[in-house]
Amino acid sequence: MRFVFIVSGLLLAAVASAATPEETVRQAMNALAPKVKVDAVQESTIPGFYEAIAGGEFVYVTKDGRYVIDGNAYDVANRRDLTASARARVRKDALDKIGPDKRIVFAPPAPLMAKHTVTVFTDVDCPFCRRFHQQIAQYNAKGIAVDYIFYPLQIHPGADKHAEAVWCSKDRPNAFTAAMAGKDPGKATCANPVSELTELAKTLGIGGTPTVLADDGTQISSQIAMSPDQLAAELDRLAASSAAHN
Amino acid sequence: MKLHYCLPLALAALAAFAQAAEKPEDAAARAALQQLVPQIKIDTVEAAPLPGYRQAIVGSQVVYVSDDGKYMLQGTLYDVQNKRDLTSSRLAVDHKRKVDAVPESKRVVFAPPKPKYKVTVFTDLDCGYCRKLHSQIADYNKLGIEVDYLFFPRSGLNSPSYDKAVSVWCAKDRNAAFTAAKAGKTPTPAKCDNPVAEEYKLGAQVGVDGTPSVYAPDGTRIGGYLSPTEMLSKLENLGKATLAGN
Repeated sequence: MRFVFIVSGLLLAAVASAATPEETVRQAMNALAPKVKVDAVQESTIPGFYEAIAGGEFVYVTKDGRYVIDGNAYDVANRRDLTASARARVRKDALDKIGPDKRIVFAPPAPLMAKHTVTVFTDVDCPFCRRFHQQIAQYNAKGIAVDYIFYPLQIHPGADKHAEAVWCSKDRPNAFTAAMAGKDPGKATCANPVSELTELAKTLGIGGTPTVLADDGTQISSQIAMSPDQLAAELDRLAASSAAHN
Repeated sequence: MKLHYCLPLALAALAAFAQAAEKPEDAAARAALQQLVPQIKIDTVEAAPLPGYRQAIVGSQVVYVSDDGKYMLQGTLYDVQNKRDLTSSRLAVDHKRKVDAVPESKRVVFAPPKPKYKVTVFTDLDCGYCRKLHSQIADYNKLGIEVDYLFFPRSGLNSPSYDKAVSVWCAKDRNAAFTAAKAGKTPTPAKCDNPVAEEYKLGAQVGVDGTPSVYAPDGTRIGGYLSPTEMLSKLENLGKATLAGN
């Protein structure tokens, strides 16, 4: 009897001190940087660590909550950037929840087939976003469907209103293309997802526009993304390498 | 004879001992880093404050490698309980050693009679904030701060700023020539043996990325330009935690 009693006492103590991953990470981050918001916590590939998104950036927290590393992690043997992979996973999960009803979709017209889909965070008042969209027919011709998500940047005053006006126009894709060519989108208003998408982009640490993500959430460098040929080649490469890993 | 013969042997034994003294974890960390970045130059490998990890000093960065060599973390390591940035603390130790190794004969010194604090400032004769700092040199001195200047011509070793630094160094009255150049006067061209190139290289090794760069006695970089009262307050509060986001 006594033996049983002692054991259960120990178990109770163990249970009482075991914080959830979220609690551990939140307590650690709160001690270091109370103003930084912790958005997602998961078990890390690296033994002994949780990984979390805090203020849009990845941090690694030891499971005892004593140490935090603000930076990137690498798998040495496979020469893999684990932070980039984890970030891609988190972004993919979040984007999977954003349906076509919150995007502006430019898919290859029949008889062309979409081989790949990219999600592009865009802003009608951003010069590089405009240049990207000028090439939309070429991306489509390469078999790339482009799904736009609005992310009007604060550095472009009024860009959120322009996004809303495009969203609320009768022919959304045409209004988008016209706005991207520099035409004033007008002042239409209606229920729209612009502010929700803006918050999501911040949470996911999307740094600027255009930000181009592949199907699996991997971020494509903007140099590659601005060229339809290079983007198509990179998407083929990514698809082949993820097929090789599965 | 015996002695002559004996000495090289002892040295050889010492060298063998030093090699054998590298722990397997250190060797694993070294191998891991070389696998990730073949041309990497590693200065030091040692136990990290993070249990189960080694830390390697690479240039003016610290990277963390698991003892089994499987994972590498690159970023800033924080001790949650003590709210300390362990990466900066470790680098400061390294930087202090390097900066302290510069003898007074290679510095341009502006000191009050009984200095309470001494800072080392990497400076460029042509940089606006460096000039602003030096225009207040009497005020820093009045607060008990000795300012030791080292040259860091931002544009490099083949630049007019470099030539000016050499001319100032080689002037008969070095401090007067320094102050005159800071006030915008072009120094009389002069050449002699000088430490300018050496100090420029040192700057790169201790993480100078702009001028002025002010280093406290403990090796931490406390700022770029700081007003006399700001500098005093930083010096008085050395060692107390300051974290981003607070």
